[in-house]
Amino acid sequence: MTGLANVQFWAFVGVVAGIFTIFSLGLQVQFGFAGLLNFGHVAFMAIGAYTMAILVVKTGLSLWIASLIAIAVSMGFGLLLGLPTLRLRADYLAITTIAFGEIVRYLALNEQELTGGPQGTINLEGAGAAARYNDEWLDFQRTVQGWLEVLLGDNATRDVTMLVIVWTVALVAIVLLQILVRSPWGRVLRSIREDEDAASALGKNVFSYRLQALALGAALGAVAGLFFAFQFSFFSPNDFEPLTTFFAYVIVILGGTAKNWGVPLGALIFGFIFAGTRFLDVWPLNTFDSAERAYLRLIIVGLILIGLMAFRPQGILGKREELVVE
Amino acid sequence: MSERDVILEVEDVHKSFGGLAAVAGATFDVERSSITALIGPNGAGKTTLFHVVSGFYKPDHGAVRLDGERIDGSPTHRIVRRGLVRTFQLTKALTRMSVLDNMLVAAPAQPGERMWRVFATPGAVKRREEEVHERALELLSLVGLERLADDYAAVLSGGQRKLLEFARALMTEPSLVMLDEPMAGVNPSLGVELLEHMRELQRERGTTFLLIEHDIDVVMTVSERVVVMSSGAVIADGPPDDVRRNEAVIDAYLGSPHAHEEVHEIAGESSS
Amino acid sequence: MTELLQLVVNGLVTGSIIAIAAIGLSLVYGILKIVNFAHGDYLTLGAFVAFTVNVTWGFGMAGAALAAIVAVALVGFGLERGLWRPLRRRGSGLIGLFIVSIGLALVLRNVILLVWGARPRRYDVDVFQVYELGPIRLSQSQLVVIVVASTAITLVGLMLARTRLGKGMRALADNRQLAAATGIDADRITTYTWLLAAGLAGLGGVLQGLLQNAFTPSMGFTLLLPIFAAVILGGVGSAYGALVGGLVLGLVMEVSTWSALAGGIPSVYKPVVAFAVLIGVLVLRPQGVLGRARTV
Repeated sequence: MTGLANVQFWAFVGVVAGIFTIFSLGLQVQFGFAGLLNFGHVAFMAIGAYTMAILVVKTGLSLWIASLIAIAVSMGFGLLLGLPTLRLRADYLAITTIAFGEIVRYLALNEQELTGGPQGTINLEGAGAAARYNDEWLDFQRTVQGWLEVLLGDNATRDVTMLVIVWTVALVAIVLLQILVRSPWGRVLRSIREDEDAASALGKNVFSYRLQALALGAALGAVAGLFFAFQFSFFSPNDFEPLTTFFAYVIVILGGTAKNWGVPLGALIFGFIFAGTRFLDVWPLNTFDSAERAYLRLIIVGLILIGLMAFRPQGILGKREELVVE
Repeated sequence: MSERDVILEVEDVHKSFGGLAAVAGATFDVERSSITALIGPNGAGKTTLFHVVSGFYKPDHGAVRLDGERIDGSPTHRIVRRGLVRTFQLTKALTRMSVLDNMLVAAPAQPGERMWRVFATPGAVKRREEEVHERALELLSLVGLERLADDYAAVLSGGQRKLLEFARALMTEPSLVMLDEPMAGVNPSLGVELLEHMRELQRERGTTFLLIEHDIDVVMTVSERVVVMSSGAVIADGPPDDVRRNEAVIDAYLGSPHAHEEVHEIAGESSS
Repeated sequence: MTELLQLVVNGLVTGSIIAIAAIGLSLVYGILKIVNFAHGDYLTLGAFVAFTVNVTWGFGMAGAALAAIVAVALVGFGLERGLWRPLRRRGSGLIGLFIVSIGLALVLRNVILLVWGARPRRYDVDVFQVYELGPIRLSQSQLVVIVVASTAITLVGLMLARTRLGKGMRALADNRQLAAATGIDADRITTYTWLLAAGLAGLGGVLQGLLQNAFTPSMGFTLLLPIFAAVILGGVGSAYGALVGGLVLGLVMEVSTWSALAGGIPSVYKPVVAFAVLIGVLVLRPQGVLGRARTV
């Protein structure tokens, strides 16, 4: 890989940024619009991906139906998580939701019969069987690739095709969310975020709206999980560590909390930081080997998070007057 | 007691916190389309009683009835939908939203507050939005905030926030409005307008008002009935002139930190 | 019965480390209103500093532990001056500081990875020495952990109960405004709180490293949620509560694997038990165990 000039490389970066855009939009709904400090968001991604893969491999269900069920199951878990926890104080909610995310990951890690265990979905049918779940997806992708070749010729590779599909879904999600946020529904959600007592004193069912936000975010998390699964053909519990949720927070805060268009912006910047630290060969980066660069990358991410909170908590697109996090 | 049309009944309500009784057996009622004042020295339990009636606290004992039906224990938002709205002593303006949005969010029966209706019936959502928009501007101009409609509520002064909260409460199309010190910090001339508007709403729409107020002049001029609380219980209840001369009321105020001024005010001997 | 006894002892060992870490986390949480998500990485840092002193430089474990305590306490102090204090002055709120602490956790853990690498490390100690006390078997590390941890906990307990500083800390954790009004020097107490919390975290890290035999830079993070669970179980800001919470949690985690309890849960799920306790406690008492109910 020669790096920056390579279209395929950037297509890959774009795909990952697109998946993170969808994932972080889910967090935007929960955290940005409803003010819910959900730190277990990665669990919804995991539940989406695993439910789909398990259904396809173990029951032979069509990938499309399995995907719809996976989204529904993830939303169900959102409700299940919300019912007992949504009345908690913000800091308790944060810690409880991390615990929820970790429980999901531990289950994926240790319930080998169901999930394939630590090696991941490749062991879904037992060790050595190399389970596959995304054949139907690859067929669909090839069809789309065929259409794209008409426009793009040889550039329409697998990654470019995926790039187009993921970002189409991401943009549709952004537009729909934008409509929702500007609707009376979104207005109620903002009032709750700011002062739940004021909102209930105006006749709004605070609990119900929070639950809706959690479930909607869970659905978006599951969609991101599905694309993650489609893109990488197999995945393992390690892909769903709490770190992934933190990345989503960085993206949301970087772009601007409560700003839908901030999410793709944040995800792209985030993607470039990730790819740049991996592939750029300039000083001082060239003094580090690839493992060290991975650490360096996370140090930079951590510093960005700290710097943002200190100097620009409203993010790039946010307004100081509508600051969500003080 | 015949022919009294009662909208709100509070019956033997008790509420304590960690052994400390904030409300201890309060009983009174509020007549429909009246303006009733709830007064009493600091710590008498007025605000706690508001919290109980509006569903923020569940009473330990006793009953609250709105239009004859029990509402104690119901969640706040359901009570609001049944026509009882309240404001807060410490205002709760939504400062990161515009003044207009503060008003619009309070409007009831907006189909667009359901997620699916936003996409399924955008026409109905838009129509309702236009209706409430008009009403919101009307109410804002009434409290003198129409020029600030597009500003963030954060720019409002303390008195302006009181006014916004008053107007916002009216947006919920209530039959009973409970105001917790609506005049505190409000410019006196605006305060007079506010009172006039309360009377107007009372006449034209039959709206009922129950207000906690410390300014005795206001209480005595605007209210038809005064309920006096002390140490969590109702100690007097009647027309302003009767209450003014009630021994128990004067005693209760004598025990309070601002005893002197307030007793004078109550007795109408001297007022500012 | 022997199995249960053994589990109880193991639980006390695990619990005492959680307790040591939880006391500091709870004081910082209560006094400074910082939900410090980097606390686990303070533990990790302690473990690795001790590794360098013990293995690379060849000093004994006692000296290594002391060096770890001092080093982490200094880092804790430095971060107070360089990070938390400026942020507090900028008026950052609870949630903002929480998010900052997540950034800090990322930075710390990856600096540790950059310096010490990802390989599992172990101290230069005898791992085969086992002591038998009646039916119970204790490894040398377990014994050391129990002795050191109980001594440290007693000392900290005495300090909090008897000294002016300790009383000031508890007063500040309970009610900042009230404490400030009574003339307590909040700045000085803040400094000592960080020194104590970070120092204890350093010690906890060394003990956990000893106990685990081999440890990696993710050690502290793995322990973080049980530590938070102990803090919440004991009531945020209460040092004694955190202590009890830690011990209870250690016991619950170990005893849950007891075969008499319907076969016991698989030991890989021990952390899950801690998370379940945490969620269960909060669901039953949403204001926290010792917290007060929300008022309008």
